[in-house]
Parts: sequence; C-alpha cells; structure tokens
Amino acid sequence: MLKSVIEWTWVLAIFGIAALIGNWFGMDVLPWNAIPGMLVLIAVSLVGLMLEKALPFSMPAVGYIGILAIIISLPWFPGSDYVVSWTSQIGILALATPILAYAGISVGSNWADFRKLGFRSFLVAIAVFLGTFIGSALIAEVILRWQGII
Amino acid sequence: MEKVELKTVIKDWRLHAIAFILVAITEAIGQFSIAVGPGVILLLPMLYAFFLGLGLYFTPLISEKNAKNAEPLIILGVTLLIAKIGVTIGPQIEAIIAAGPALLLQELGNLGTIFLALPLAVLLGFRRESIGMTHSIAREPNVGLIVNKFGFSSPEGRGVMAVYIFGTVFGAVFLGLISGLLATATPLHPLSFAMASGVGSGSMMAAASGSLIGAYPELEEQIVAFAGASNLLSLSTGLYFSIFIGLPLTEKLYSIMMRRSERKAAKGGGPNA
Repeated sequence: MLKSVIEWTWVLAIFGIAALIGNWFGMDVLPWNAIPGMLVLIAVSLVGLMLEKALPFSMPAVGYIGILAIIISLPWFPGSDYVVSWTSQIGILALATPILAYAGISVGSNWADFRKLGFRSFLVAIAVFLGTFIGSALIAEVILRWQGII
Repeated sequence: MEKVELKTVIKDWRLHAIAFILVAITEAIGQFSIAVGPGVILLLPMLYAFFLGLGLYFTPLISEKNAKNAEPLIILGVTLLIAKIGVTIGPQIEAIIAAGPALLLQELGNLGTIFLALPLAVLLGFRRESIGMTHSIAREPNVGLIVNKFGFSSPEGRGVMAVYIFGTVFGAVFLGLISGLLATATPLHPLSFAMASGVGSGSMMAAASGSLIGAYPELEEQIVAFAGASNLLSLSTGLYFSIFIGLPLTEKLYSIMMRRSERKAAKGGGPNA
C-alpha cells in the first residue's frame, strides 16, 4: 500500500506539473499561485485511491474522489473557503489538456482499433447525443406540464 | 495501471518532457471557434494536444513503450479532473437543492441514450465497445468511470473515447443545431429543451440553449435558468447516475441482446448462419 501511495503521488505530481504549465500558458495563472489548489486536488485523489483499495465496496476511486471533493467544498465545511479559492486558480480545461495529450500519445498504439471504430462509431455517437437530448426534453415536458409551469 | 510498472512510468522523462511541451504549445495557441449556422465548432487546446500526441506516435520521438507508459498518467490525471469538478459543485449545493425534483427526474432522460444508441451500436456490429459508447454521453466523469473500471485499452475504453472525441469536436455544434431545429419543428415546449440542454458540459449547454434563445428571445431568462440548473445537476449527479443506473442497465441490456442474437444464430443452424 505504501509503495503504491508513493508511486501514485509521483504520477499525480508529474501530471500536476503538466497541468500547471497549461494553466500558465492558457489562463495566465502563474504556477506558484496555482500550487496550493493543485496540492488539494492531489490530496483528494490520493485519499480516493486509498479508499478504493481499503474499502470492500465495488465503487471506483473516482466515485470516492467526487464525493470527497464535494464535501470539502461545501459552504459549511471548515476551511472550504480556502479549498474553493485555491482550486479556482486551476481551470478545468488546464486539467483536460494534459489528459488528452497523454491520451493522444497512448492512443497511437491502439490506432488500428480506433480506425476500426470509424464511421459506424460516428453514427452511434450521433444516436447517443440525440437520445439523451430528446429523452430529457420528453421527461421535462411531462413534468413541467404536470406542474403547470408550461 | 496493472500492466505497466508505475516506477518505469515515473522515470520515462522523454514521455513527460514531450507531454509538457505539447501542453505548453497547445495552450499558448488557445481557443478558436468556427461559426456553423446557429452553432459553433469549438477548437480547444485539448483537441490539438490529442491530435499532435497521436501524430507523434508515428514519428521516432515516441516509441511503443512511451505510448504504453502514458496510460497511467491518463487514469490518474482523470482523478484530478474529477476532484476539480467536485470542488466546483460544493459551493453551489443550495442552488442544486432549490432547482428541485423536476430537474432531478429529467436526468432520467439520459437513459434515452441507452435505448436509442445501444441497439444501433449492436446492430452496427459493435461488441463490448457499445457499452462504453452508449452508457452515457461520455463526458469526463463517464470516461473516468469506464477507464477506472475497464482500463483505457479495453473495448469499453475505446468505445467511450470514440464518443468522447466525437462530443469534444462536434458535441456543441451538433446540440446547437438540433436544439433550435427540434424546438421549432416539434410540439414540445422550448423550456423542456432548455432543461435537456444541461447535458453536463458548459460548451454544449451554451450552444444548445443559445440557439433556443435565438428562436424564442422572449423566453431568454427562463431558458438560461433552466439550462444552467440542469447542467449543474448533470455535472453533480451524472457520475453517480452512470455508476448506479446507466452502466449497470447498459451492461444488462447488452447481455440480453447478445444472448438473443446467439440463440438466433444457433437456431438458424448451418455453417453460414
């Protein structure tokens, strides 16, 4: 467990550096202003990863991480002001860019499989977006009419 | 994370240096938008980073080994992204509670994805990819869930990434185009489509609700309020909706469909069936 935690910390720190670079070039936030927020995010991720290993439930780490992050940023949680103001220095896209950079590099080795997805996956993706949009609109229509709002 | 040793991943400085440079260059270029009818195609740094990274794989700069080492960075990077989404939701909790049960039930509409797209995916010949593709609209938390559960190189991971990349490139413009079209062409109320616009992505919500406002300017404030609240709810509940309802339901329906097609194949008999 300890070995895993140390290795996770290293990987998260390397990723964090990439995100801080992106945050600096893309959002003009100097890295040292964003470091406290990044440390908070890394700590939350580490705790989530540890909970996934330690607890017997079949919830993935991202589930624990999401709940934990929401709790520590609730207005009545002690110190949440700091959590919110520090992490607000890190743009969500600054985290997305390095993910996609590493993903692009990694996808190369799966490129043959990705190409096989091709045009058919384009059709499925359109059905995915249409399905959720129309599904939500239909249910909203029924409830809004029932409530007398429309 | 299981296949490669994390220690070798950490020491792969060639990979990390290239990633750092990619991020710096693409973020410095910044964002562009191309107007297409009522919507826009958003070109974001993350898209350049993805395609440049992919291009590098075919040069001597990146080896097969570097590419394999990139995978744990994706998985752990996504955990940081989820943490960031979480701390964005916390301060808004009262607005979410006030938004009420109508918004909550409307989230079930996301299951429309499974009922419409899963049969199509299976029909088109996808196997386990279809689970990743159709369990949700594949935004970051859903990618995180699938990658976390099945791994990035799994069929499910490929499926969710295909829809994720489609959504990143075309999601906003596609929803922008169809929301204006559907709101004017169907008897459903524009406010229902406003709620539907909150799919959990800011740019998609902006594009979808923007073209609704274009069609119904007198409803502007209500459209913005409904779309914003719904988007907040999708962001905060989308992941758990996928964990507890979307993904299990997709897997269940998938296995039912597979069993049926196997039985049909068996019944048909003969080597050609």
